Amino acid sequence: MSKLLKRALKISLTPAILMIAGKFLGIMIPSIIYDLEFFVENNIQGLFSIQILFTNPDVTLFINSISNIVMLIILALPTIYFIIKTSIYQSSLQNPRTVVKMTKLNILKWITKQDTTFLQIFIWCTFLIISSAVIIIQSLQNISYQWTGIVAGVVSLFCLWGTVKTFELETDKIYPKENRYY
Amino acid sequence: MPNNRENLKTVFTQILEPFALGVLALLFIIPIITVMNLTPLTKQLKKLDVLGVTTQDGVKVTLVGGKHEVFTSENLSKIDEEHYTYSAILNKRASDNYSKPIIELENKNDAEIKLTFLGQTLSNTKSNIFLLVNEKSYRLQDSKGNTYTQEITIQPFEKLTVFLAIENLSGVQFSEEYDMDIKIQDI
Repeated sequence: MSKLLKRALKISLTPAILMIAGKFLGIMIPSIIYDLEFFVENNIQGLFSIQILFTNPDVTLFINSISNIVMLIILALPTIYFIIKTSIYQSSLQNPRTVVKMTKLNILKWITKQDTTFLQIFIWCTFLIISSAVIIIQSLQNISYQWTGIVAGVVSLFCLWGTVKTFELETDKIYPKENRYY
Repeated sequence: MPNNRENLKTVFTQILEPFALGVLALLFIIPIITVMNLTPLTKQLKKLDVLGVTTQDGVKVTLVGGKHEVFTSENLSKIDEEHYTYSAILNKRASDNYSKPIIELENKNDAEIKLTFLGQTLSNTKSNIFLLVNEKSYRLQDSKGNTYTQEITIQPFEKLTVFLAIENLSGVQFSEEYDMDIKIQDI
């Protein structure tokens, strides 16, 4: 088995688990906080076997929107962190000013070792885009608030742009830009 | 030897790689399906087909269940909001009295509720069949096969356990089916 595949499998596990956990916690926590009654129905037929049911359509809409946002935040925060960390790491290699700023902000840890790979950012971003697509579809179907769809779209576009920038930084290592190095 | 081992490892990894790709694809597909599955839906409670949870206006009818050598295959079905049916198989038995708790009734209203019970066996086995509630007996079928409608009143917020009892003066050598209608009269 190739190393790339092994690493991809290893990296994919965490966002996959967090995506499910985010959605689940997003349903459970507000239900407990607001003391909302819900039921779980088992449907033997079809792909969607377990259904969480609320008796009020407004409550269903609220809980679904909150759970979507929780899932999005859980996936977006690490992705943004990885993108920023990699960008700063690359910037610090080329620009001493970045190192000074990092020292002032007391986040030198971010640039002492390169433990974030492009593959990691790519996989996290893919999960983020998948979850954003689900949220946008649900917003269009009116089963989630419209603003959740807009937020998901903006966040995923921002992360996609960050991932592309990170990819450019990675390719710069192999094929340095002519105007800078030659 | 080391060459053979290396070759075996290479072949093994080549076989494993497509499966690993499948697992990687599943790692993306499973969360999507799970998230879609976890999306909450709206459903009115009265439409939930779960017996014993509740009925309208707080009348709770629950099957007790459990194992008994004479009363087996018990089933409680909800026909509509005011109508339930209970069925059981009465197995072959020696001449004796037998009883078993079959249903729990709970009145969650602040007014009393009346329930009527009417049941019979498909064949006459010369058995007397009763309901026992709070040490009172209510005859549902006599040894000649005549049936009787019985009315039980539940006080506000009262919980009752209904027993089904059979009295046999002679042994019964075959199983018979017993069906009973339960109707909520006053809601």
